[in-house]
Amino acid sequence: MRKLLALLVAAVFAVPLYVAVVNVFKDGPLIAKSPASLPIPPTLANIQAALGRPDRLFWVSLTNSVIVTALSIAILTVLSAMLGHYIARTRSRWTRALTLLLLSGLMIPPQVILMPITQVLRALGLMSTVPGLVLFNVGYYVPFGVFVFTGFIRAIPVELEESAALDGATRMQTFWRIVFPLMRPATASVLIFLGVWIWNDFIDPLIILGPSQGTTVTTGIYRSIGQYQVDFGAMFAMMFLATLPVLLFFLALQKHFVKGLTGGATKG
Amino acid sequence: MRRGLFTLGMVVLLAAPTLAACEVGESTAPAGKKEITFLVFETPNLTPQYWDAAIKRVTDKHPEISVKKLVSPDQDRTTYAKQLLTSGQFPDVMIAVSPAGFAEGGNLYAWTPDELKDFEFPTNGAIKGKVYQLPANTQTIPVVYYNKALFTKAGITGEPKTYAELQQAAAKLKAAGITPFVTAGVHDSIGPLWAGILGTELYAKNPNWMHDRRAGKVKFCDAEFKAGAAKLADLAKQGYLDAKDVSKDYAAGQQAFLDGKGAMYAMGNWLAGELDKPDSKLEVGQFTWPSDDGKLVVPAFTGGGLLVSAKAKNLDAARTFALGFQLDKGNLDNSAKADGLFPAIKGYTPPTDVGPDYKLGYDLYAKGVAEKAVVPAFGFEAGDDGMLPGVTAKWDSSAVDLVTGKKTPDQVCAFLDAEWAKAAA
Amino acid sequence: MGEGGRLSMSEADLPRRTRRPEIGRRVWHFLSFGGPGTAAYACFVLAPILISLGYSLTNYNPFRGDTDFVGLANYRVLLTDEEFLTSLKVTTILTAIVVIVPNALGLAVAVLLDRRGWVFNALRTVFFVPVVLSSVVVSVIWTRLLDNDGLINQALRGLGVDEPPGWLSDPDYALYSLGGILSWQMLGFCVVIYLAGLQHVPQELIEAASIDGAGPFRRFWRITWPLLAPALTINTVILLISAFKIFDHVQIITRGGPGTGTTATIAYNVLQTGFIANRQGFASAMAIIMLIIIAAASAIVLKLLQRREVDL
Repeated sequence: MRKLLALLVAAVFAVPLYVAVVNVFKDGPLIAKSPASLPIPPTLANIQAALGRPDRLFWVSLTNSVIVTALSIAILTVLSAMLGHYIARTRSRWTRALTLLLLSGLMIPPQVILMPITQVLRALGLMSTVPGLVLFNVGYYVPFGVFVFTGFIRAIPVELEESAALDGATRMQTFWRIVFPLMRPATASVLIFLGVWIWNDFIDPLIILGPSQGTTVTTGIYRSIGQYQVDFGAMFAMMFLATLPVLLFFLALQKHFVKGLTGGATKG
Repeated sequence: MRRGLFTLGMVVLLAAPTLAACEVGESTAPAGKKEITFLVFETPNLTPQYWDAAIKRVTDKHPEISVKKLVSPDQDRTTYAKQLLTSGQFPDVMIAVSPAGFAEGGNLYAWTPDELKDFEFPTNGAIKGKVYQLPANTQTIPVVYYNKALFTKAGITGEPKTYAELQQAAAKLKAAGITPFVTAGVHDSIGPLWAGILGTELYAKNPNWMHDRRAGKVKFCDAEFKAGAAKLADLAKQGYLDAKDVSKDYAAGQQAFLDGKGAMYAMGNWLAGELDKPDSKLEVGQFTWPSDDGKLVVPAFTGGGLLVSAKAKNLDAARTFALGFQLDKGNLDNSAKADGLFPAIKGYTPPTDVGPDYKLGYDLYAKGVAEKAVVPAFGFEAGDDGMLPGVTAKWDSSAVDLVTGKKTPDQVCAFLDAEWAKAAA
Repeated sequence: MGEGGRLSMSEADLPRRTRRPEIGRRVWHFLSFGGPGTAAYACFVLAPILISLGYSLTNYNPFRGDTDFVGLANYRVLLTDEEFLTSLKVTTILTAIVVIVPNALGLAVAVLLDRRGWVFNALRTVFFVPVVLSSVVVSVIWTRLLDNDGLINQALRGLGVDEPPGWLSDPDYALYSLGGILSWQMLGFCVVIYLAGLQHVPQELIEAASIDGAGPFRRFWRITWPLLAPALTINTVILLISAFKIFDHVQIITRGGPGTGTTATIAYNVLQTGFIANRQGFASAMAIIMLIIIAAASAIVLKLLQRREVDL
């Protein structure tokens, strides 16, 4: 009984998802007429059209998204793990102030800093470049990484590090050889969350990356809307293909995702 | 061991972008060529292929120029150009972007009279006497396109010659269960409709209205503009305009007309490019927006050409490209066929193989010129001929407010006067 | 060992002459570990905020040559600006919807799905999928669905409703439609958080209560709900912050319309004013006010909810 109700609610909830997927494989003209019908016969024409665009929009966008996301999360993990470690292991007024400053960054809307960011990047000569976007992402998401790592490091006994120090290891060595491997769940959480957020980011690549360096998958979809307005099939195909990577990523790492989210739900 | 792998991973990740940048970035121009960036926008008529072919026609003649095509993410290329300027990525060449705002900030190159010698109206769109946008083509905005089959179905025999006849036709269509007017919520969709109304209500009586407004001699809340706003609101109130259309965008509105969902579509003559496509089966007629007394009024705009950034790295190449692009016969012919434009170039006549809808539109325009009935198209003017920077967007949203009934004509005119004052501050 | 987990003996134990290099070491510790992260944050978040603050005190407009210092004039104008006040109203309504609806519905769905079994796990995944979808994709899908001739209205017409509403074209409905779309996307997040909270409620307490004769509602209200306080805190704060940032959906679905200011949130207006009307000084003032509001709101909400957690 409960199962039935749950299935019903989920079915109603999932209608938009169903529509999005079903129309990818339907003939273009049929989509507007009967958006909810099953695609019989199914066609791959839409996907081919999206992949085969003469300006290679999809492939360019995909490459850009992969590069930006991979670089950002790699750098973010390293930087926020180290900063988190520093904060967790050092007790002083200074680090308390630093922590407050960092955590308040969690709530800053990007609109507040986008206009000045373009100027900072222009001054550094990094405007509308991939490294510029990556640096922006790093600065913007560091608070989240620090938040996750700090909480986790506090749970690691400091004795481990101290005994390594007595054995003559430097702080760096201790950190990378002993502490970091123990933080796998935290690293996983950070990689997953930041990966999804940066992949799905729309406004920052739109403004920072600009038109001359190509698009990411999000801005690419937005641009293709102009031409595909009436060709719904191609549009849905493009969106489907653009979402596939992050969807597969999520489905494969579901458990870590949920664990990372709910790790804090009970600690508060 | 694990750390070694990690370091290796980092190295690979950091090396990847350098490799990929060569493929995807395309940021370095081929050696020896002058690179310029060119901002375009895509519509169902203006496809990526259309632009590539047009660009190629010019670079074939000028092989020392290499063009990097930038595409606006949506049709609002003027807004996008502003964003690019603000973020330091202002393109070297742009097409069909309103120069208002850019010119005053010293961002655009002012064409010399010598460079303008091939244009029919070399002073159109001037800002403080200087021309920044090549006045390349004339467009009649709007022409009322109508679906012949639907007109017959509703029992309408002739084309409406007066506004009263237009309302009667609309009533007949509504009675027959057909939506009289198709529109959408964006500038290029509902703007032409209102431009038609304001052409007969405002510009026919005072072709200099906009200049007077800039001088403070008239206001939006004067009788003429209010009458124009009232007519628009009235069309919606009578149900001749579907208020639900305002959430549509340009392509959806156009498609609705092409699919026969509505009988009349007041649109710029660029629609001819779509109607003359070989696979188009729609039987369409055209007439100009009728005035109360039946006198001919043809709202038109000449401009729409290319603009060049004053700060382009290769300014000479940019200018050469822009002029070459604009004056190339192949490009002009194609723009006539694909986008229904009437090139305003001296000595140019449209090719003979243009479609019937283009010909019809051209004849209507020629009639307007002959009878000296051409007036500006409200909302589509450029430079000092148009509204102050930023006010046009408010005019667009006010059109939607009138159609949905959210605001009355009095509220709209007061709002526009206030916004004008803000922009003038 | 000394407090703070420092890797050496406490400072006071060292003979005086070795204390000076200690400071150098501390600085080096910070620079090597915390330096890069802090630098990136300072450069790309803190500095821009200060720059924004600076611009907000001018009438900076990149299209006009001269920029003057105007002090607090921008802020004074904003307090009476109709467009800004409308955007405040719009933002408040939208935030209220986005904070309350997915929260409440998420709890209901979590209660429904709180059972073992692969079916329930799979359904939990289904609810969470929209959370990982890009805002662009969600916006495009829903724009099609809510179109006047889209699926929803087709279904309504099929059920006999003659004049289904213009979900996105009617200025009275558009904002609520937008709130609905956002709630749909965030629902799964709340479900997952609440589920985790529910699964941590000790079964013994529930069993003891039912033995004492408490019905399901009483059990929930007296035992489960108080223990869900941390989950409520997390959900509410995250939804609050997300709601304030909303831009993508507004840009793609309604462009701030239909008409003037119907769905224009503060976030949307900041970018419109800054990048399109180019009144960047003015837009910066808007952005600073936005920052103050969200900081105050987050702090208040967090304090209220966390106090509740501690009390229990």
